[in-house]
Amino acid sequence: MSETTTTAELAELRTAVRDFLSAKSGEEQVRQVMESERGYDEAVWAQMAEQLGLQALALPAEHGGDGYGFVELAVVLEEMGRALLPSPFLSTIVLAGSALVAAGDAGAQAAHLPGIATGKTTATLAVAEADGAWDTASLATTAIRGDKGWTLRGEKCFVLDGATADLILVVARTDEGPTLFSVGGDAPGLTRTPLRTLDATRRLARLDLADVPAVAVGEPGAAAVVVDRVLDLAMTALAAEQVGGAKACLEASASYARERVQFGRPIGSFQAVKHQCADMLVRLQLADAAAREAADAVAGVDGAPDPGVAAAVAHVVCSEAYMFVAAENIQVHGGIGFTWEHPAHLYYRRAKSSQLLFGGPAVYYERLLSRMGV
Amino acid sequence: MSDEMDAFVAEAREFLEANATRRDVPSTEVEWGRGEDRITYFGDDPPEVDARKVAAAREWQRRRYDAGFGWITGPPQYGGRGLPNVADLVYDALEAEYDVPDTSVLSLIGLGMIGPTILAHGQEPVKDRYLPAMYRGEVIACQLFSEPAAGSDLASLETTAVRDGDEWVITGQKVWTSIAHHAQIGMALCRTAPDKPKHKGITAFIVDMSAPGVDVRPLRQMSGGAEFNEVFLDEVRVPDDHRLGEVDGGWRVALTTLMNERASVGGEGAGPAARAVSPPFLTAVLKAHGRLGDAAARRRLAELAADQIATEYLNLQAVRRLRAGAQPGPEASVSKLMYAQNLTRGAHFAAEIAGPRLIADTGEWGTFSWNELLLSTPALRILGGTEEIMKNILAERVLGLPKEPGIDSTTPFRELRRSGQGRAGGKA
Repeated sequence: MSETTTTAELAELRTAVRDFLSAKSGEEQVRQVMESERGYDEAVWAQMAEQLGLQALALPAEHGGDGYGFVELAVVLEEMGRALLPSPFLSTIVLAGSALVAAGDAGAQAAHLPGIATGKTTATLAVAEADGAWDTASLATTAIRGDKGWTLRGEKCFVLDGATADLILVVARTDEGPTLFSVGGDAPGLTRTPLRTLDATRRLARLDLADVPAVAVGEPGAAAVVVDRVLDLAMTALAAEQVGGAKACLEASASYARERVQFGRPIGSFQAVKHQCADMLVRLQLADAAAREAADAVAGVDGAPDPGVAAAVAHVVCSEAYMFVAAENIQVHGGIGFTWEHPAHLYYRRAKSSQLLFGGPAVYYERLLSRMGV
Repeated sequence: MSDEMDAFVAEAREFLEANATRRDVPSTEVEWGRGEDRITYFGDDPPEVDARKVAAAREWQRRRYDAGFGWITGPPQYGGRGLPNVADLVYDALEAEYDVPDTSVLSLIGLGMIGPTILAHGQEPVKDRYLPAMYRGEVIACQLFSEPAAGSDLASLETTAVRDGDEWVITGQKVWTSIAHHAQIGMALCRTAPDKPKHKGITAFIVDMSAPGVDVRPLRQMSGGAEFNEVFLDEVRVPDDHRLGEVDGGWRVALTTLMNERASVGGEGAGPAARAVSPPFLTAVLKAHGRLGDAAARRRLAELAADQIATEYLNLQAVRRLRAGAQPGPEASVSKLMYAQNLTRGAHFAAEIAGPRLIADTGEWGTFSWNELLLSTPALRILGGTEEIMKNILAERVLGLPKEPGIDSTTPFRELRRSGQGRAGGKA
């Protein structure tokens, strides 16, 4: 459970993370890392754990974590989104970490969480298959119970950091229903194929599972609840990242509009440009409010709204806002914003890849309605 | 919660139990097809109904005040209770559980905007005379700001105030003056130094609306009713102790009022119009018309719901910050823009679902009645600062974008080009 963190402490955490990321993940470093095969800087990942303890922050104290919650984690994620940090943080901490916690399997937690907390282990969660849906009711990947334990057969797609993760949690079909399994990244029978991605700062892979030995995590048939909870947390985490990215875009636009001179005046003094920036601010403020409320809700803060609704609202509003702000940012910059050298496209790519990561508009509007009971 | 606050809550509960009836249904719940088939933003009540509602509002405010809940945060020397903001919010939340008369005719402009302005800038005689009377529901205040030639550019107002001994003589025309026909006093902005730049030659006054020379004429709105007015001021005499702030310092005084106006309009989240376009109500609209399975309608509903719920979160967080002692920030402007947008889109969505039943009254509950709201929503993008002006404010104050270059803030007012110049009674 989250301890009570004061506003001042949250601000301190934000400053520490921002300082760290501006030193370790400036635009130049991001560009280098996104061209690299691995897709993230292992040294920075280790420093995140050693110097700031970010991986441990929101993991349970009994397994090497610091026991904070999503209110604190959201601050970290917002800064990562602002810096476009290429890193397996979302996959390791939010997807896999939360799945291990939600599954409630003490053995699996003891086996994996301490390694995650120290930054030694990276991990991910594989739910979606060829259609990209985060839907445990229509899984093709199956688990078979044999003499030597479980083996998995099937294909998982759009697996976040799936090509590099040390530990992969896989949801597969069993007679008892959808079940969560753990698989080693180097397990026999597992073929991992990195996919070309729209957003080079966020890596996705396809996993081919040909009778891969696996260990069940939690009770067989219990994974649907786990995935629902993880999805709420993932949408909430993503919302914080999206807000961070959108803030960076708006700041870039406002700063350019103040300095760029055409027709003898800063372009920001023209109402056409000014109002464009104001529209971005309005959408951003709304997104920020939705992301904060969702973080409070999933953390179980007193008086917060229903976490299912709040997370779904945040996912819709932040996805739409980030996409809007990232696109308008290019427009405010004009031609320079369309160049490879300018960072605007990196945010545009991240905005689109975040919007579609868990299914996109085709799914998130209906998900919100179902959470509202419509 | 402190013991003091516990005692306050108990006292408020006792007052409400003794003086009001608890609602059967929480105000957020939908009862489709039941009750009065009306969705209003601006009223279009006949004058006798309107007068009855105003009387009920005054009576409820008097009872609140006499019991110590009329001006919870006000300074005791002017009849306030001297409690922090949080007590106000706690009382509002409690009162929302009861059916009580709508007091917005008093609260929105008078208590929400002009009361705080008098408190900040008024001279003692005005504070003593009007503050307790306003918060006791005896005095309704209106805002004599906009003029035919001074809309968004309020600082170019032309109504003059000329000093005559201990008095000022005010002449000019105001417009879009909500509730002037109910008001006992008005806060007027007047030109006192036409040779100075426009922002530097304005002075604010409290005007007695029953004084000789004040003529209030109703202005019919596109929605049918007449809630706002033209106010003609013809050599109206006002004592100098009714001046707010310094001579020629009225712009600063006006900013206090306008700041409170934005907070006031955006904060209407719980009003009846907002309830009509709330996600549960719009869902009920879809259901009633058998459209819950319509994919296009569902998508639209979800888009509206996401924005509305997020706007609610924004308002909740603003309230929490106020409770913690912060000043209203730019979120008030964001909230106002979103409020207008949510209401407008919600009304058009409901209209679309009603289809032809919106354009001809078939007598079916919850169809033709959307017209009232539909015809009111254009005002939301204009009143309390047009969308265009709100966006300028956000871009300039929050994002630091430069102002539009112009000569109007340095040139003496009388040399500026103005709308309708040279004609009698120019148009806005």
